[in-house]
Amino acid sequence: MNGKPSVVAVLRDNLWGNNPIFIQILGICSTLAVTNNLNNTGIMTVGVVFVAGMTNVTVSILKSFIPRKVRMIVQTLIIAFYVIIVDIILKAYLPDISKALGPYVGLIITNCIIMGRAEAFAQANPPLLSLWDGITSGVGYMYVLLLVAFFRELLGFGTLFGVTVMPDGFVPWTIMVMAPSAFFFLGGFIWIAKTIMLKMEARS
Amino acid sequence: MNREGIVYTVIATFIVSFSFVALLALTNEFTNEKVERNRVLSERRSVLNSFGIDIEGSDADYDLYDNRVTESTEQGIDLYRAQIKGHTVEAIKFSGSGLWGTITGVIAVEQDLSRIVGIDIISHNETPGLGGRIAEDWFKDQFRGEKINQGRIRVLGTGGGDTDKDNGRVDAVTGASRTSAALEQIVNKSLETIGRLRGN
Repeated sequence: MNGKPSVVAVLRDNLWGNNPIFIQILGICSTLAVTNNLNNTGIMTVGVVFVAGMTNVTVSILKSFIPRKVRMIVQTLIIAFYVIIVDIILKAYLPDISKALGPYVGLIITNCIIMGRAEAFAQANPPLLSLWDGITSGVGYMYVLLLVAFFRELLGFGTLFGVTVMPDGFVPWTIMVMAPSAFFFLGGFIWIAKTIMLKMEARS
Repeated sequence: MNREGIVYTVIATFIVSFSFVALLALTNEFTNEKVERNRVLSERRSVLNSFGIDIEGSDADYDLYDNRVTESTEQGIDLYRAQIKGHTVEAIKFSGSGLWGTITGVIAVEQDLSRIVGIDIISHNETPGLGGRIAEDWFKDQFRGEKINQGRIRVLGTGGGDTDKDNGRVDAVTGASRTSAALEQIVNKSLETIGRLRGN
């Protein structure tokens, strides 16, 4: 990375050109596991946006004090710190959401996008830009997961956000509820996105 | 001081770990009471739910529980009693292993063990969207008023909910056979426990 990347470039990279899901292929475990219903997907991705943003700021502020040898341990510590804070706050002030999320909150710790951004971006950039990078990476992750969840919930349960939308005679596709269906959608998504990218490159 | 030297590394790591953990401990300390009260409230709601008593969804449920439910201990098992439509209904808490972790909940039955009044799940660690659906209303509502056949109930097949209250069976969760089977065992074991308390 030469020089300071611009705010717009960071946004465009994280949402499209270098999207964490379909270009970097990061955070796939949660893409497969949680995308069978929109509510859970939505709440968890909001958590990821928050944790990614805050982790990036913190790593960026602390980067000059932390010896290189232990920087990844410290990053993990910071990620776990924010995830536990989110967990405690939800338990104390929004117990219903906390109950609905269950194990999702803890799963955020294992999301490699957060550590990836901390290591690749926050280690080399100023705090505010890192915050922006964390948030946009989270949003890039969020919209792909919501798209996958949209199709999986629609076909797997016949509902959207828990509201039945398919006609009465609709037979739910059980495979859509299981993790393998996310592979099909993700594969399809990567295919479409790459095709569009190649066309755009060819034109310019 | 040398940034990459061992002394600096150890001290820096210690300070960073110490401060983050201290912050966590502080947050935990400040929210402890609230979290504990939320936990008790949510358990009380589960008991009320299993009895089929309408809850308010607010702090008022805390007192509602005190008014409607009496607690007692028999043979070392906590027993909850309430009067529903003029007759006594009993509930116990249950816990057992699901696919990934412990499932805890409440089951309420008619005193003569003829029917289940209702069940509610307090906590579980099942796969979200699959086994985790045991905590959804459509699944739990299948147990409401379900007839108990020879002291058992069966969780079978697949589908969106069994509405026949006299066949002593409920539909399993699609794609979550292991969780469904585990729950069947847990429910039947708690029926046995209540039966033992009643002496039959």
